[in-house]
Amino acid sequence: MSDHPLFSTRNPWFGISVGITAGVAVLSAVVGLIWLPLLQPHLQLTGVWDAICSAAGVPRAAVQETAVKPDFKTSNVVMTSEMLTKADQVSIGRGATLAQRCAICHGPQGVSDAHSPNLAGQFAAVTYKELNDFKTGARVSVVMSPFAAAMSDQDMKDVAAYYAYLPRVPSNNLDTGRPAPAVVVTGAPMRNIPPCGSCHGDIDNKAGSPWLGGQSVVYIKAQLEAFASGARRNDISQQMRNIARQMTAEEIDQVAHYYEAQP
Amino acid sequence: MATETDHSPGEAVAARIERRWATLSIVIVGVLVGMAAFIGIHQATMPQGRVEIADPKTLHLSGEFTESNLGSEMAADGSVTVRAIGQQYSFTPQCIVVPADTPINLRATSADVVHGFLIEGTNINTMLVPGYITDLPVRFKAPGDHVMPCQEFCGIGHQGMWGKVKVVDKTAFRDMAAAKRRLTCVD
Ligand SMILES: [Cu+2]
Repeated sequence: MSDHPLFSTRNPWFGISVGITAGVAVLSAVVGLIWLPLLQPHLQLTGVWDAICSAAGVPRAAVQETAVKPDFKTSNVVMTSEMLTKADQVSIGRGATLAQRCAICHGPQGVSDAHSPNLAGQFAAVTYKELNDFKTGARVSVVMSPFAAAMSDQDMKDVAAYYAYLPRVPSNNLDTGRPAPAVVVTGAPMRNIPPCGSCHGDIDNKAGSPWLGGQSVVYIKAQLEAFASGARRNDISQQMRNIARQMTAEEIDQVAHYYEAQP
Repeated sequence: MATETDHSPGEAVAARIERRWATLSIVIVGVLVGMAAFIGIHQATMPQGRVEIADPKTLHLSGEFTESNLGSEMAADGSVTVRAIGQQYSFTPQCIVVPADTPINLRATSADVVHGFLIEGTNINTMLVPGYITDLPVRFKAPGDHVMPCQEFCGIGHQGMWGKVKVVDKTAFRDMAAAKRRLTCVD
C-alpha cells in the first residue's frame, strides 16, 4: 500500500475524500446561492442567475420606483468635508470686490450689529451653500434672495472664499467667562440632541454647519425657531430640523446668548 | 510489493479510525451548513439577500431617499415599505410609524459615516453603511413604542443619535395611509 502514490485516482482514500469534499461544496453552493435566495419572496428574484448574483453580492443600483416629490424646494448642494477648503488668491480677490455689495448688512469686515449673520471667518462651504440655497429658493429671505439670484456659481464660491479668509471678529457682547449651557456641552441625549459643538466647530465640524461664535442672539434664535417650526427647510435631510424640534424655548434662548458671547 | 497477508492488525485499526474521523468531520461540516441555512430561514440572523448601492452624497437630490419620500408607504397588497436615513446625528424620519402584524420592508442607508440601526425589543439590529442600502424584511407582533438608538459609534455626537418606532394597530395605520402617501410620527 505504501508503494501507491498518495494523490492518485487509484487510491480509494484520495478519491472518496476529494469526492465528498467537492460534493459538500457543491451542495452548500446550491443551498446558499440558489435555494435559500429563492425561498425569500420579498427579494423578487427573476430566476436562478439573478439568485446567484444576488447571493454572491453583485451590487446593483437601487430600483427606481415612483418616489414622492417634495412640494417645496430642497437644497441641491452636494456637501463634502473637503468642499471649498483650498481657496486661491484670485478667488479671494474676486470675492472681495463682489462682497462690497454685501457690506451694508454684513459689515465692511464681514461683521455688523445689524442682526444679519457675521460672515468673517465663516467656513467657505457654509457661505456657499446658503447663497446657493437662496438662489434656488430652498431658503427664502426677502433681502437675500434677490442678491443671490443675480450671482453665478463662481461668484458664490468667490464671496465664500473671501469671507472665509477674513479673520473672525468677536461681537460687542464677547464674554468668554459665560458658562456653557448643558445643551451646548453634552446635548440632551434623551431627546436626540447631540452637543451643538459636535457639528458647529467647537468640538468637530460637520460639512455645512456654520461657525456660531459671535452671531447675533436675534439671528440664532430666529433660525432655530424657523427650523423647529419647519419655516426653514434647507437643511439637507432635516439634519437641523430634527434637533431644533426637540429643543425647548429656554434652551434656544440659552444657546443663542451663549454663542453670541463666544469669539 | 505488499500483499494482503502482509497487513498487520495495526493497519486495519488505523484505517478504521481514519474512516471514523473523516465521517465525523463531514458530519460537522454538514451540521454547520444546515445550521446556517436554518437560522437564515428562521431569521435568527438576517443575511441580506442582495447588495444595493446608493451614493451617500446625493441621497437628497434624487431616488428613493429624498426627504419627501422617507417614511412608511403602504403598497396595494397591504405590505409596507419604510425608508429612512441615518446621518450625523439623527435619523430621518425621527419617528417611524408602522402597523402591527404586517410584512414590512425596512430600507435605510447612511448619508455620511457608518451608523447602527437597532430597534429595542425586537431582533432588528443592523448597520447603515454609506454607499449601501440596508434592506430587512421585518414584522412587529403588537402595537407599542420602541426606541431606535444608533449603536455604532459615529462621531462625537453619537450618544444623542436615536429615533423612535411607533407600532400602531393595522386598521389605524390603513386609515392614516389613505390620507397620506408617506407616513411618519414626527410631531
Ligand atoms: Cu450614528
